[in-house]
Amino acid sequence: MPKSRTLRRQLLVWLAGPLFILWSISTLVDYDIAKRFVNLAYDRTLLETALDIGRQVKVVNNQIYVDLPEVAVQMLKTQETDRIYYLVTGPKGEFITGEPDLPPPSSLGLDRISYYDDIYRNRAIRVVALRVPVEPGSGKGAVLIQVAERVTVRSDFARRIMLRMGLPQALLILFAAVLVWYAIGRGLAPLSALRREIENRSHRDLSALPEDPAPQEVRPLIRAMNDLLQRLSKTLAAQQRFIADAAHQLRTPVAGIKTQTELAIRESQSGNAQIPLHQLHVATEQTTRLINQLLSLARAEPGTERAHFTERLDLNKLVREAATDWVPRALARNIDLGFDSPLESAMIEGDAFLLREMLNNLLDNAIRYTQSGGQVTVRIVPDAANIMLSVEDNGPGIPESERERVFERFYRVLGTGVDGCGLGLAIVREIAQRHGGEVTLGQGASGRGTLVRITFPPAA
Amino acid sequence: MRVLIVEDDPVLADGLTRSLRQADYAVDCINDGAEANHVLATQSYDLVILDLGLPKIDGFEILRHLRHRGIKVPVLVLTARDALQDRVKGLDLGADDYMTKPFDLPELEARVRALIRRGQSGGSSILTHGTLALDIAGRRATLNGEPLDLSARELGVLEVLMMRSGRVVGKEQLAEQLYGWDEGVGANAIEVYVHRLRRKLEPAGVAIRTIRGLGYLLEKLPNA
Repeated sequence: MPKSRTLRRQLLVWLAGPLFILWSISTLVDYDIAKRFVNLAYDRTLLETALDIGRQVKVVNNQIYVDLPEVAVQMLKTQETDRIYYLVTGPKGEFITGEPDLPPPSSLGLDRISYYDDIYRNRAIRVVALRVPVEPGSGKGAVLIQVAERVTVRSDFARRIMLRMGLPQALLILFAAVLVWYAIGRGLAPLSALRREIENRSHRDLSALPEDPAPQEVRPLIRAMNDLLQRLSKTLAAQQRFIADAAHQLRTPVAGIKTQTELAIRESQSGNAQIPLHQLHVATEQTTRLINQLLSLARAEPGTERAHFTERLDLNKLVREAATDWVPRALARNIDLGFDSPLESAMIEGDAFLLREMLNNLLDNAIRYTQSGGQVTVRIVPDAANIMLSVEDNGPGIPESERERVFERFYRVLGTGVDGCGLGLAIVREIAQRHGGEVTLGQGASGRGTLVRITFPPAA
Repeated sequence: MRVLIVEDDPVLADGLTRSLRQADYAVDCINDGAEANHVLATQSYDLVILDLGLPKIDGFEILRHLRHRGIKVPVLVLTARDALQDRVKGLDLGADDYMTKPFDLPELEARVRALIRRGQSGGSSILTHGTLALDIAGRRATLNGEPLDLSARELGVLEVLMMRSGRVVGKEQLAEQLYGWDEGVGANAIEVYVHRLRRKLEPAGVAIRTIRGLGYLLEKLPNA
């Protein structure tokens, strides 16, 4: 599953994305509001200053002048950053005091007070223009008082307000995202558990998945999956039953053919009839073996009724008995069959019947493919963690390129000159895997022959 | 000797019948369960060869019926089923032997002989292996009619090997057999007895093979 498709990521993107956009808009709005109030407050202060100056406008000898105490002027000019500029001009536009180059209001309305923005000495400024009548009622007109300050002070302040409001919001969003991340993880935990349960499951286990720990939303999915598993195991069981039934049904007619053939060989004296009869006999032997192996395979596969027929058993004893049973056949082919185990007993959890079938297939293969005078040895070798069963022969061996393929059903190594049906190792692997074991193929100790190794986990 | 074959497959039934007639048994052949029940109630046989998968009444039912009426005739069960449960069920119901189809004719004939012999007497107390004979009751062995000089332990070993001629006998089985004479017979002691026995029997061509890790085997004679 690609990472971008996880539910957690999707949910996070869908929650955090819009939240971030909302936060940006909210910050912009905050800034705008802050700026408005800051302007309002600063404009008021600016106006206060202008009014203060206005109160000092005096007329002496028809001369208009502003009586600003030196202290006040110094106060206006103190700091470079938030320094106040002012200009007082007379009714006819004549310069009275202040900064003569302060830009005049662009259009002088009739308002007593007006505010405007401008550029002064390459800096943005905010200006208040105030008209103060000279000796009201005298008809001498009004002086224009302009007071200005740099805008930076205001925007700095507005920015500070914005930050004070935006930062906690950002932290809130971050916190919410972390919370969502964690909560999704918590919420999805049952799904992860389900995934692990399915991942760790053997392909033989078709039992229902547990429904209990899953949240309501996931239960229908589990139920649907369980339903599928059940149908699957029914189909599998039906298929295996069919194979088993077919094999059983074949046994009686094949027994008939075999008995008749053996009788015919015994009764026919002529040499000519003997050859085809012997061929017929060989063919029935092969058919018999195929039927038995098909049954073994059907029994070993998952989904059979024998699915849970395991018990604690002694592999040592089982192997010894199986080897003992095969001795007469080995001797008939002049093969030295032996058993070797350093253990008194080797306990494993298993199905004795299936393990016996596995051993029969291993021994049958070893004896069948080893030449007369050869040797077959069955061993039990314990190691630190497992119990290993091995069957080694000094026959022709299996070429390395064929070693994986021989486990395939009906696959046969060409050129062996031996009649087999290619199911033996498929059965061995099926049964070994059913016992949690692994089958590996290698070369015999002498550098030739076949070494089949099967590891079993020991009984708890 | 009268043998009843209950088998519904005509080809197999015919083969079995012919094979047993060649061996001079009087053979009756029946192909359905109901009739088999009836015949077994009225006639007496020395052996019954019974197929389990019969139409109408299956082999298990016939067997149950037979033993229920206290008829002790030896029964050899033939079956296409080889699951362990089926085998156990058959033997529990009183079958004497069990063969899975398809089988080897010589093996079937050998088992028929053994079952009939067992049914006739309590079993002979004389074991033979070619020219070698062992009187279990008299605890004497002869080779070509000449008495063999064997110790009690060697006789014990020989008895077990002869009873299982052609099959492997484990050292622990031999040790168990000798337990009565020797407290705790070790594997080494068994080896010594077998070695001595081997030396005494070799001149007559009787071979005891050592099977690596498994035990010993009295090799079957070619004509046996």
